[in-house]
Amino acid sequence: MNARPIVATFVGVVFFLPLYLVLVNIFKPSAAVVADPAGLPFPPTLDNLTAVLTRPDQLFTFGLINSIAVTALSVTVLTVFSAMLGHYLARARHWGAKVVMGTLLCGLMIPVPVIMAPITTVLKWFDLMTTLQGLVLVNVGYYVPFGVLLFMGFVKGVPLELEEAASLDGASRFRVFWQVVFPLLRPASASVMIFLGVWIWNDFLTPLIVLGPDSGTTVTVGVYRAIGQYQSDFGSVFAFMFLATLPILIFYLALQKNFVKGLTGGAVKG
Amino acid sequence: MTQTMRPRARVRARPAPSRKRPGRFLPGLGRFALFALPGLVAYALFVLVPIGMTAYNSLTNLNPFNPPTQFVGLRNYVSLLSDAEFGQALLNTVIITAIITVLANAGGLLIAMLLDRPTKLYVLLRGVFFTPVVLSSVVISVIWQAILTDDGLLNSALRGIGIDEPPGWLSDPDIALYSIAWIMTWQMLGFCVVVYLAGLQGVPRELNEAAAIDGASALQRFRNVTWPMLAPALTINVVMLLITGFKAYDQIRVITNGGPGNGTTVTMAFQVVQTAFVSNRIGYSSALAAVMLAIVAFISVVVLRFLQKREVSQ
Repeated sequence: MNARPIVATFVGVVFFLPLYLVLVNIFKPSAAVVADPAGLPFPPTLDNLTAVLTRPDQLFTFGLINSIAVTALSVTVLTVFSAMLGHYLARARHWGAKVVMGTLLCGLMIPVPVIMAPITTVLKWFDLMTTLQGLVLVNVGYYVPFGVLLFMGFVKGVPLELEEAASLDGASRFRVFWQVVFPLLRPASASVMIFLGVWIWNDFLTPLIVLGPDSGTTVTVGVYRAIGQYQSDFGSVFAFMFLATLPILIFYLALQKNFVKGLTGGAVKG
Repeated sequence: MTQTMRPRARVRARPAPSRKRPGRFLPGLGRFALFALPGLVAYALFVLVPIGMTAYNSLTNLNPFNPPTQFVGLRNYVSLLSDAEFGQALLNTVIITAIITVLANAGGLLIAMLLDRPTKLYVLLRGVFFTPVVLSSVVISVIWQAILTDDGLLNSALRGIGIDEPPGWLSDPDIALYSIAWIMTWQMLGFCVVVYLAGLQGVPRELNEAAAIDGASALQRFRNVTWPMLAPALTINVVMLLITGFKAYDQIRVITNGGPGNGTTVTMAFQVVQTAFVSNRIGYSSALAAVMLAIVAFISVVVLRFLQKREVSQ
């Protein structure tokens, strides 16, 4: 029984080694990375990090701006659209709603490569190829089934009485949704934002193809572009990756708390 | 994947009284349907229409740089049968999928059982195992490439301890595919750990205690008490890993680009994208994509059904 903490720690340390290598080598000059990859960085240098931030082609800076714009916009639109659609589907009794639900469920399992080529065709119809707006729209379409599924489960936890009460007081359908239902869906919104924020930030193939090689990329694609240039200068590559991951990690840790908080507690007696 | 299991719960969760109330708050496709519209339009434009186009294109010889486009019926699918590259891609995909499904599940279960304690150390370790799940496949690929490449961190260390000719983890055609599978296992392990931990927390302590009093050994208790109750967790993990394996693309693109040698690490997803965007043979690529989708659909529906039936019967 006493072996458990030792075994657990040992397995954890072995599992963490690759990430440890990244963290220590960011702060070492190139020569030290090759000579002593596992050693601690003494004295630490910030050269690798500053090199990434001051790149002449600004691959990182532009990528970061694009990533933030695309992720923030996609997640915001997705949260609102899927809450609306989820709310509708959870309440509607029409057979059409069931058909729509089934179609959305199918969409959950479709891998991006299967539809990538036609997606570029659709984007070209609207002149949205190689634009950030185009990428946002593709994200919204592709991830909406996941959002809807999450929201639908939560809408069922919102008592119908609340909607009826608001409606009797004269609120329009839209107002009922926006002022009564949507605020109660906060935990679902947080989950949708966490999942989709992380996925969209980390997406590779979609931004790679939709934004194309010429008109800037997201940071994640930037990491891929950077490895070609740095060759085996691991310190710089790791620094790039670290900076590209930091914003989404902070976002994840910040929102994670909301995730578990209760939902409609106290809204209706009983 | 979890979601697909929801319909059963939904039927039960429907509040009984609401059924008696007529019309007004349980709208049909009236004006309330406007709420459904924006999300649905985006979904139709960027998923449904593309799926239809993939299906249609797979019956043509579409190549934007080689017109005219003609309807060729099932010829693309017939060509697939004798396409050695496709055969290899399919085999590679199956190998990767099998390895990650077995390893990540087994490892995930063992580690979850190891970490199934509420104290701080174990909570911290859960975080450690979960970290790769939050990272981009690109980032994970680059980390492991730096470790496994010929003059990478692992081989430097191996040379340091006197192994002069360490293996070419990513450059040896016999090894590279397994290195990729290993990397994906490392990436997915934390997911399995978390799902199994959630499952373990649902096993009532009294059951295990009762079995222990009745004289069941630790192994018997695991086989007859814990394991059957982990059936839903197993379902989630297996389906998730099968799908992850079948759509493996990022790691291949970043680490090996299909090599070393002739397509030794090409997966189906990789072949679909290369055929469409490098060779520009959209028609043929669409047929590949359709086959890939059929396999993923088969996994999602048939395997899920099978595993869920197993959950019930236990």
